[in-house]
Amino acid sequence: MLEVSELSTGYGAKDVVRGVSIDVREGEAVAIIGSNGAGKTTLLRAICGLLPVSSGVVGYEGRAITNLRANEVARIGIAFVPAERHLFPEMSVAENLALGAYPKRPDAKQQSLVLELFPRLGERSRQAAGTMSGGEQQMLAVGRALMSRPRLIILDEPTTGLAPRLATQAYESLAALRVQGVTILVAEQQVPLALRLADRGYVLENGEIQLEGPAAELRDNPTVRRAYLGIA
Amino acid sequence: MTAVLLDGIVLGLQFGLLGVGLTVVYGLAGVLNLAYGPIAVAAAVAVSLSMQSGLSAGPAVLLGILTAAVISLLLNFTILQPVYRQEGETRVLLSLLLTIGVAFIIDGILVWRYPIEGLSLNIGGDPVSILGVPMRTGSLLASAIVILTGGALIAFFRATTTGKAVRSVIQDEVGARLCGVNPARVRALIFALSGALAGLVVVTEAMASPVTISAGFRLTILALLVTVVGGLGSIRGAFLAGLILGIVNSVSSFYIGAYITTIILLGAAALTILVRPSGLFGKHA
Repeated sequence: MLEVSELSTGYGAKDVVRGVSIDVREGEAVAIIGSNGAGKTTLLRAICGLLPVSSGVVGYEGRAITNLRANEVARIGIAFVPAERHLFPEMSVAENLALGAYPKRPDAKQQSLVLELFPRLGERSRQAAGTMSGGEQQMLAVGRALMSRPRLIILDEPTTGLAPRLATQAYESLAALRVQGVTILVAEQQVPLALRLADRGYVLENGEIQLEGPAAELRDNPTVRRAYLGIA
Repeated sequence: MTAVLLDGIVLGLQFGLLGVGLTVVYGLAGVLNLAYGPIAVAAAVAVSLSMQSGLSAGPAVLLGILTAAVISLLLNFTILQPVYRQEGETRVLLSLLLTIGVAFIIDGILVWRYPIEGLSLNIGGDPVSILGVPMRTGSLLASAIVILTGGALIAFFRATTTGKAVRSVIQDEVGARLCGVNPARVRALIFALSGALAGLVVVTEAMASPVTISAGFRLTILALLVTVVGGLGSIRGAFLAGLILGIVNSVSSFYIGAYITTIILLGAAALTILVRPSGLFGKHA
């Protein structure tokens, strides 16, 4: 579904991400794990059109979408949930959700699906997004992304700023999404959570893919265990 | 006193709408358009010229508003393009420098080609009594137009999908792009709207008193004051600030004198900023 090959990108002259290839098949959940500053965010931003690609190809459903602008990427079935969420702080929850469906009017069926996944958003529908707690804002960011009925949802560190219990909850909702057939690509520092959700994973360090394989294999890999799972 | 207050409200509604046109462009594009006043004056001249060439008032006014919208759009698509490649303070500064240049150019062309032009729209009819105060039909018509436009604007921003898209870009441009909103298209729409508002306000002004071609600078300053007091980028802030400043303006020019009024307006603005540095409805208040 998503095929990234030999992608290099960065800010200014020096590439932060170099020659990265990843692919995501329909219906899969794929995790990109790595420490802070490994280049995960940079990679995702380039895929989603928020950052120019310096070389390489981003393919989506057999078509090159390299350097397509973010607002165009959003309209071909890819939804991106950035770590900073980028909600509309002075708009209500309902308005934020409605904009997720832009340029169409919000689809009632999709909206009830989102509210089923995050009942809290229904209770808070008239509250301004900026006044909600971190956990609720994360729900809203995912909910807004889902309103466009994406086929692929890409999340950058969905657990940013969440307490452990809320982080676990966030991944439970992602697991529920999977069941509904949404393909997921997630970048995560909280490796145990990500590898529990994912079918496959990539380890990104210093802007390059160090390791890849099925999630179960990565969980048992000695390097991964030492570096990310805190097990000697 | 009632008469002075009513006058202030009529004026304030116009101030508010004038401020909205400037503030949306700032909120959306990070551009403080100093050519705003001269663009309004260009609209006035266009109306006046079309009426001289035989057009009736209605179509002439529409043509004038269209002229202002087109100039504003041109500004967006030409000289401001390099500005959009900059971010934050650099963008604001660059836009100030470029649009002040444009202001001089428009002003210069107007003074050169149409030095004695001006716009005065005489609306006939007997004065209408409101709260015991006889009001000129022109002022009432102007207020009605301004109120209707203001209402339509609020409805547009609150209730329509496009209006929400505009607000989304103002609040978080990255978020808007992730929702599929094209910021460049929204920007074009808002520049056209801003120009049209400038034209509309100047037309309503001309219904009460003549607008001369030297009005550009005053209109820009007025719009800036309203924008700053209301909070940069805030639409409801601009309406409220316009009303307040309009009333201050009327009261002070009636009781103190027209010459001092400008200073008092500036003082009122300074006072607001002293108490609330980002204006009445500023983003970071």
